[in-house]
Amino acid sequence: MAGLLRRRRTKAADAGSTDPLIVSIAVAPARRMVKVCGEVTRMRARPTTGLPALAVSISDDTGTAVAVWTGRRAIGGIVLGRRLVIEGVAVRRGDHLEFMNPEYTLLRR
Amino acid sequence: MKIVIAGAGSVGRYMADQLRSSGHAVTLIDQTPAIVDRFGSDGAVTWCLGDACEMATLETVGTADADVVAAVTGDDEDNLVIALLAKQEFGVPRVVARVNNPNNEWMFNEMWGVDVSVSTPHLLTAVVEEAVNVGSFVRLLSLEGGNARLAEVTLTDTSPAIGIEIASLGLPRESTVVALIRDRHVVVPRGDTVLRTNDEVLVLVTGDAEDDVRRVLVG
Repeated sequence: MAGLLRRRRTKAADAGSTDPLIVSIAVAPARRMVKVCGEVTRMRARPTTGLPALAVSISDDTGTAVAVWTGRRAIGGIVLGRRLVIEGVAVRRGDHLEFMNPEYTLLRR
Repeated sequence: MKIVIAGAGSVGRYMADQLRSSGHAVTLIDQTPAIVDRFGSDGAVTWCLGDACEMATLETVGTADADVVAAVTGDDEDNLVIALLAKQEFGVPRVVARVNNPNNEWMFNEMWGVDVSVSTPHLLTAVVEEAVNVGSFVRLLSLEGGNARLAEVTLTDTSPAIGIEIASLGLPRESTVVALIRDRHVVVPRGDTVLRTNDEVLVLVTGDAEDDVRRVLVG
């Protein structure tokens, strides 16, 4: 169960976007642990097969990644225009990266 | 394809054997030393003694490169945890999970990372239903977390679909006839195929179109 209990960091960070581990969305590899950073450009409560889910698109200058959090319709602090760091394992879906329940860090505006 | 199977009971071992003979690279995980000792000498399948609910075990067997993970232990909680880890932490494209207790089936969906769930009791019920319910609509299989279903109708002579071409049935857009079983032969349906009494019609239905399909085929 260790993976499930992985601690979620939600603190507002000052220097999150200068983290050297962050890569551009365009070159982020699929199916490996990656960290990307960008601005929230789209939010959608997406009830897939009747279950609540929140899909948040974040974009940097190179591309778009979508983070899907299941079981919820909103997350405090995640609003349009907010900058986020997302860390997790993504899959390629068409022209974007998709993360399922990634860790996230809210960056100071 | 690279396939990881969690749970080396009779179901897991049978799957491993079948998939390996179709040329897939199969890894079996089980946490019972006695099982791994007894069957693990089978060199064609990679064996791993460990708890598939642990990230470390899944990492060891190379889940990061797996095309499919099948969680087929006898424990529904374990199967859900394995499915979620496979999907969320390893981005596995296809995750299959076994439902042991049909009361748990509602949880085996996208939220837990399950792409396809297989419930033996439910399949058995469906097969029995299919055998006894000529002329009614029987659900055989759920796909995509229940959003798409494969259903079967055996047409009686009272069905409004008898004598009509498939293209003219007026089936809803969310459904399609995928096969006909006629006199024990599978017929690939075309738009101009005319339905007859005793045809077993297999229909793929998505969304809420089930009632409309039932109206068209059963009446």
